[in-house]
Amino acid sequence: MTVKNNSFVYLIGEGFRSVGKQKKMTSASIIIMCATMFIFGVFYLIGENINFIMKQVESQQGMRVIIAEDATSDQIASMETKIRQIDGVNQVTFYSKEDALASIKERLGGNLEILDEYETDNPFPDSYFVTLTDLELNNEVQEKIMQISGVDEITAQNDTISSLSTVAKGIQMATVVLLIILVVISVFIISYTIKLTVYARRREISIMKYVGATNGFIRGPFIVEGVIIGVISAIITLAVVGLAYNSAINGILSSPVIPIINMTLYGFSDIFLKLLIVYLVLGTGIGILGSAISMRKYLKV
Amino acid sequence: MIEFRNVSKSYPGGLEAVHNANFSIEKGEFAFLVGSSGSGKSTIIKLILKEEEPTSGNIIINGKDTTFLKPSRVPYLRRSMGIVFQDFRLLPDKTVYDNVAFAMHVVRATPKHIRRQVPMVLSQVGLEQKAKVYPNELSGGEQQRVALARAIVNNPSMLIADEPTGNLDPNTAWGIMELLNDINLRGTTVVVATHAKDIVDKMNKRVIRIDKGNIIRDEKGGYDGEEQ
Repeated sequence: MTVKNNSFVYLIGEGFRSVGKQKKMTSASIIIMCATMFIFGVFYLIGENINFIMKQVESQQGMRVIIAEDATSDQIASMETKIRQIDGVNQVTFYSKEDALASIKERLGGNLEILDEYETDNPFPDSYFVTLTDLELNNEVQEKIMQISGVDEITAQNDTISSLSTVAKGIQMATVVLLIILVVISVFIISYTIKLTVYARRREISIMKYVGATNGFIRGPFIVEGVIIGVISAIITLAVVGLAYNSAINGILSSPVIPIINMTLYGFSDIFLKLLIVYLVLGTGIGILGSAISMRKYLKV
Repeated sequence: MIEFRNVSKSYPGGLEAVHNANFSIEKGEFAFLVGSSGSGKSTIIKLILKEEEPTSGNIIINGKDTTFLKPSRVPYLRRSMGIVFQDFRLLPDKTVYDNVAFAMHVVRATPKHIRRQVPMVLSQVGLEQKAKVYPNELSGGEQQRVALARAIVNNPSMLIADEPTGNLDPNTAWGIMELLNDINLRGTTVVVATHAKDIVDKMNKRVIRIDKGNIIRDEKGGYDGEEQ
């Protein structure tokens, strides 16, 4: 659509005029759009937070690489470089026999007598603790580490890791599916509203065609109308979601569980911009798509 | 300017509305298209506007065969024509001024040009005092004048009127005809489809008469020609 500036102003004016005239239908579709966008927003925020938690869990999850008894100190040193070079490895920390004993002592509460014996004959091996950037790479990384010489075995909570990554995938899938459903419903709603406007203005459209209006020109005000509905819905939903999210998050963060599991959640200001962009893109896109669909049939003549 | 070459038009269901029509209307001419309702004159108007496609034959407008015109070019074809209907087709929620200006917005005229041009055509049709009035406050004759102003505001090379006086009383109708004649004298080709016998007789212009889809007469004179 190549539209000169003055026509552009005219088209936008016509779009606003139409929204003003079709108040009832416009507000009905804004409400329904808001409702669907709200549901999407809730899932989106839950998904974002679960991903956020997953990242925190991932950074804590890892594997212990047990170093063989007979490994030389050169082998141990080169082992660290080799592990670091593997894709998906986040951090590599060395724990000596002594570190292992100390941490066991600490966990068992100090001065147990059995442990005194261990001071002279430490049964714990040297090890590396390896964390991952992505839990899905768990198996691959383990295979690669096993090939390095001087590695005895790897202990890891493979089940926890794989179930966590399944949950994360599930949430992502659900959000995508929900997004698709939302888009379909909203496009339908907007196109229906605009169809009513088109019907109410069919006379005007037929006159426009007789005086030589191009299809792009006729479509203009309706697309503006769709975009107005989409953007208004986006802004309202953002405000509602923001308020709801803030009070929910304050409730959760002030509960006594949070400090214990050592996790935190996004504050609304952290994801406000992201959500704003998502909503505006959605609103505008759905608005344009909805009006394009409702006009398609009409402009064939 | 407008030329029909062996044009036939059948509608789905087998009804032949126009059969092998041949005529040519030259630049600056004034021609009546007459016939009773259902004779096919509305179909001829629709063919000129490219609202309908001919089943066979060619329609040449301004030297261009419109048979193979792409749909995206149809708006530009229509910009060379002003169109007036029996039922005026004004927008009830726009003032007289905006109804006329609307046609200029559609062809993307500049605001400056619109502000200059609209008052000029309104005074040409004698409605300069009614610019801010809404159509439902006007008489039928005045409404048709607004429609005429809208049709000529973009300076089309031809004016097509489909039963322009069908809803008007004889005196008002005659006023519209005088206006059409006036527009024609300024150089615009005018084609009027009508079955108003007295008007056609009084105007004494070229008459193309259609009956059951056939052109049965094409000459200057009254509605029924010389023989009556």
